[in-house]
Amino acid sequence: MALWAALFLAVGGAGRAEDAPGRAPAAAITPETVRGLRLVSTFRTGNPQAHVASPQVAGDRLLVFTPFPHTLFALKVEAGHLRVDWTFRPDGNRMVEGVACCGLGLPGPAVAGDRLLLNTLDGHTIALDAATGRPLWDVPSAAVPRGETLASAPLVAGDRVIVGTAGDDFGIRGRVAALEAGSGRPLWTRFSTGSDQDVGIGPGFAPFYDRDLGRDAGVTSWPPGGWERGGGSVSGTLLHDPELGLVFHGTGRPAPINPDQRPGGNRWSSGLFARDAATGAARWFYQLASHDLHGVSGTGPLLMTDRDWKGVRRKLLIHVGLSGYVYVLDRVTGEVLSAEPFVPVNASRGVDLATGALLRSDNKTTRIGTMTRDVCPSLTGPVTPGGAALSPETGLLYIATSRLCMDIEPRPATYMQGTPFTGANLRAKRPPNGSLGALVAWDLAAGKPAWTIQEDLPVLGGPLPLPGGVVFYGTYDGYLKAVGARDGRVLWQEKLASGIVAAPTFFTAPDGAQYVSVLAGQGGALGPSAGLEVDARDATAARGLGNVLRGVPPPEDGGGALYLFALP
Amino acid sequence: MKRRAALVMAVAMLVGCQREQRDLRLDPPVAAALDQVAPTANGIGGAPPDVYVALGGPYESNAYNLGEGKRLYTWFNCKGCHADGGGASGPALMDGWWRYGADPVSLFVSLRDGRPNGMPAYRDKLTTEQIWQLVGYVQTIGMASATTAAPSRNDEMQSRPAENRAPAAADLPTPPSR
Amino acid sequence: MRLRHLIVSVLLPLAAGGCAGSQSALDPQGPNAASLAWLIGAFTIVCGIVWLLVMIVVGVALLRRRGAAEPADTPLAEDPGRERRKGAVVLAAVLATVVIVTGLTVISYLATHSLTAASGEPLVVRLRGYQWWWEVTYTSPSPDRFVTSANEIRVPVGRPVRLELSAADVIHSFWVPSLAGKQDLIPGRDNQLTFTAERPGIYRAQCAEFCGVQHARMALVVVALPPDEFAAWLDGQLRDAATPANEEEAAGREVASGKACAACHTIRGTPAAGTLGPDLTHVASRQTIAAGTLPTTRGSLAAWIADPQGVKPGNKMPMVPLSADELRAVSAYMASLK
Repeated sequence: MALWAALFLAVGGAGRAEDAPGRAPAAAITPETVRGLRLVSTFRTGNPQAHVASPQVAGDRLLVFTPFPHTLFALKVEAGHLRVDWTFRPDGNRMVEGVACCGLGLPGPAVAGDRLLLNTLDGHTIALDAATGRPLWDVPSAAVPRGETLASAPLVAGDRVIVGTAGDDFGIRGRVAALEAGSGRPLWTRFSTGSDQDVGIGPGFAPFYDRDLGRDAGVTSWPPGGWERGGGSVSGTLLHDPELGLVFHGTGRPAPINPDQRPGGNRWSSGLFARDAATGAARWFYQLASHDLHGVSGTGPLLMTDRDWKGVRRKLLIHVGLSGYVYVLDRVTGEVLSAEPFVPVNASRGVDLATGALLRSDNKTTRIGTMTRDVCPSLTGPVTPGGAALSPETGLLYIATSRLCMDIEPRPATYMQGTPFTGANLRAKRPPNGSLGALVAWDLAAGKPAWTIQEDLPVLGGPLPLPGGVVFYGTYDGYLKAVGARDGRVLWQEKLASGIVAAPTFFTAPDGAQYVSVLAGQGGALGPSAGLEVDARDATAARGLGNVLRGVPPPEDGGGALYLFALP
Repeated sequence: MKRRAALVMAVAMLVGCQREQRDLRLDPPVAAALDQVAPTANGIGGAPPDVYVALGGPYESNAYNLGEGKRLYTWFNCKGCHADGGGASGPALMDGWWRYGADPVSLFVSLRDGRPNGMPAYRDKLTTEQIWQLVGYVQTIGMASATTAAPSRNDEMQSRPAENRAPAAADLPTPPSR
Repeated sequence: MRLRHLIVSVLLPLAAGGCAGSQSALDPQGPNAASLAWLIGAFTIVCGIVWLLVMIVVGVALLRRRGAAEPADTPLAEDPGRERRKGAVVLAAVLATVVIVTGLTVISYLATHSLTAASGEPLVVRLRGYQWWWEVTYTSPSPDRFVTSANEIRVPVGRPVRLELSAADVIHSFWVPSLAGKQDLIPGRDNQLTFTAERPGIYRAQCAEFCGVQHARMALVVVALPPDEFAAWLDGQLRDAATPANEEEAAGREVASGKACAACHTIRGTPAAGTLGPDLTHVASRQTIAAGTLPTTRGSLAAWIADPQGVKPGNKMPMVPLSADELRAVSAYMASLK
C-alpha cells in the first residue's frame, strides 16, 4: 500500500484515497499476458540481512534501501538494464543492532517531490535530494541508548514529516513527532503514554467509545511509574488524510509482555490514534485491547478508502490487526463498523461493536509463571506493516498472512535501560488446521475471504495488486507468484535464490515499458524477525519461530538481490 | 580380614559425604583480582587472572556457580536477545560459533565491556563474581561434550535439551553465511 | 514437695508466658486467629478428657484384682450375663468415639470455614514469596495507586485483609500466628488468606515452609494501624522517593542509580527501576531490612550493603564493591528514604 501511495504521490500528485481517480498506469500486465514475464536484470545489494524494504519508485529512479548498515541505491532502468545512478551510505551506530527487536531492516524513504525522506534504524531522519542523493538535513529522531529505533518510513503530510519510534521490546515510551519538511526543525512531539498534555489530549479529543475517556488515563491506567517505560511504539504504518487534515497511526503493545507487571488498562498502548496533522492533538483513539495480554499491537497495516458502507457513503479506515481481525472503522469518528478474523483466532472471541471491547477468551488469558498453550494468533503477529493492499479494481483487500499460534509463559522482566524488557517465554505453534501462511483476498463488506491461497510457510512478501487484475506476492521459500485478482488462480511463478520478505513493486519506465521488481533476501534461517546467527534447535529462538521453522532449510545465500521482470 | 574390609568400606562411604563446596562469600580482594583479565589488543582471547587459575577455575566446574549463572541469564534479560541459546536479535549461543571468542576471557570481556555490534556492557549492572558465573553458564550452552555440573532442564518452558545433555554435541552446524 | 513447688511457681508461668507475645497462636488478635485458638482449646480439652478416661480405664484394668476366675476345666464356657455387659461397654465406647470424632470434625469444619468469611470490603494485598524475602503489593481499584513494598504488611485495624499469595521460585508459606493460620505460597498457583486485626500492634510472621538455605531469615511483620493512620501512611508510600536533603544523600542517589543497585531495585523518581529485589522507594519507613534480619538503621543498612553475604550467606544480593565514601553516601541516602 505504501508503495501505491508512493506511486500516486510520484505520478498522480498529493496522496488520495485508493478509490479516488488517479492516473493509473496502463494495464499491460494482465492475466493473459503475465505468463510472458521474463527476468531482464538483477542487482545484488551486498547486504546479508533480511530485506524487508520494498523497492520504491521516485520519478524515473528505482530506490533500493538495504537493512542496517544502510545503503540507499538509486537505480535507473535503461533499455532493460539497471544502472546505479547514485548511492547514499549514512554513518551508522553499530550499537543499534542490540536494540533492534525484529531484524535490521525497515521500509525505505518517503518521496516528496524532488526530495526523499529517510529513516535509519539507528534513529536518524534524513532528507535527501532525489536527483543526486545529497543529504539536505539530518536530525536525530530516536535515542539508541534508551532502546529506541526507527522501524517505519517517515510520512510526508503536506510540509511536515511525521516520524514514530519503535522499541516495545526495550521498554521505550512510544512517541510520534512532526518535523518541518524543509529544515527538519521539530514541530511537535506526542507520546503514547503519560499525561494528557504529553499525549496531546485536549478539548478536541472525542473518542467514539466512552471507555477511551478519562483524565490523564495515560498515567492512571498504569502502576506508579509504569507509563515511563510502557511501550506503545509508533512503529507501524503512518497514514495521512489531507482532506480531513488527520494523521493516523497505531500504538504498539504495552511493555513488558508480562501482564502482571502492568495492572490497569495501559492507555494509550495497543490502539489507533487520529491526530491533527498540524498540531498533533489527538482527535480520536480506539484501544484495540485494554490491558493487552497477547501483544495486540496497533502496528499492523492501515489503509483508507471511501466507500458505500451499508448504503451510506463513508470515509473508511482499514486496520489489519495483529489480533487477527480486519477492522473497518469510520476514520472521521473512530467508530468500529466491522471486525472479523482473517487468520485462526482463539485468544479473543470477537469485538463487541457496541463498546469497542475485544472479548477475551477465558481459557487463553496469560499470567506470570503460567503456561498458556495454543494461543492464536502468535505474538509475532499475523501480518507485517506492509503486508496488505487494496485493489481499487476488485475492491478486495489482499493480505499476506502468517498463521501462527503460540505457547506463552510470562515471566518477570526487570527494566535496565537499553536491554530487553519483554518477560515472556514464547514457542510458536502450527495453527489447528491449515498451513503456516496464506495470501488472503478479503471482502470487506462481507467480512470474509473471497479466496485464500495456502502457503506452507508464512507469507511476508507482498502483496502487490495491479490494475490489470493480477496480484503479485513473494513466498518465504523464494517464489514470486502472480495470481488472478478475482479468483486467486496461480498464473505465473518464478523461483528466486532466497526467500522474499518484502512486497514487489510495479513501475513504468519513462519509455512506457512496465516492470515488476522484487527484492529477494530473507536473511537467516528464521527470517526477518531474527539475526543471521540463530539456531532453530532452541524452540524459543527468534520469539519462538524456531519451534515451527526448524525443519526449513536455511538459504544458501539469504542476502539481498533485486530482480527485474518485464514483458518481452 | 573382615574387620579390615569393613573399615575400608566405611572410609569409602565417608568420601561420599563430601559435597561440593559452595563459596557463598567471595573475599573482596579475590573479587577485585578476578577482574584483572588481560585480553589481547583486539579484545578476543587473553590470559585469565592468576587468582582464577589458583582457584582452579571454579566458574566452569562448580555446579552452584553454573546454577547461579543460569539464574542470572534469565534475571538480567539475556533471554530477551539470545533466547534459550537459539538467538533472536542477538546471535545464538548454542551453535558453537562465537563472534568474539569462546574462551572464558573473551566471554568475560564481552559481558563486562560489551561489544560494538549491540552487546551492552554489564559493568555497572553485575559484579565481577556474577559475570564469571554467567561466563561459566554461557559456555555450557554451547558445550560440545556433556558435563554433570551443568544445570539440568528448565523449571520454565522447555525449549531444548538441558545444558547437562550438551545439545551442541550433535551435528554442529556450519558457520552462518555472513 | 520442693520440686512441685518449683514447677508451679516458676516453670508454669514461664511456659504460659510463651503463649503471649507478637507471634503466638494462643494470643489471638483477630477473629480468624481467635476461632483457631478456640479450636485448639476445644481439641485440647476434649482430647485431654478422652485421654484421662482411657488412662483411668487402663489403670483400673491393670490394678483390679483378679476375682474368682472361670472354672479352669471349661475355658470356652460362656456366661451370657457377662457377655452382655462386655458388649454394652464396647458399644458405649464405639458410640462415644463416633460422637466425639463427629463433633470435632464439625467444629473443625465450622472454624476453618469461618476463616474465609469476611465481613465488609476487604483490603486486597498481594504477597509474593521470593528466596528469601516477601514482596508486598497493596492493590487499589485504580492501578496508579498500587503500592509495592517488601517484608512488612501494614493493615488497617478492623478491616478484613485478603492476601493473594503467590511464589516466584519455590514453595513458601505465610504464617502470622497472632492473626491467622498458615497458607502456602506455591509457584504457578494462587492462594488466598483473609484475616482481620482487631487491635493495633506489631505481629511477627515467618515463612513456615522450608525454602532454602536462608529459610530461617525469611520473616516479616504485620503492623496493624488505626484506619486513619493507615490511609495517611499509604498516601505517603505513593509519593516518589524523598529528594536528597544534603550533598551526601545526593551523592548516595548517584551511587544507587549508577551502580549495580539500579539493575535490581526500584527507587521511584530516580532511574533505578529494577524489579529483581525489594522496592527501595521508602525502605527506611520499614522496620527491618533483609526480611527481618536487621532493624532498619543507617548502620545496619551500611553493614548490609557492604557485606550482604556475611550477614545472610547465600542470599541473592551480591557484594557490590564500593569505596568507603560511596558506602557512606549510599547508606545515608537509603536511611533518608522514609
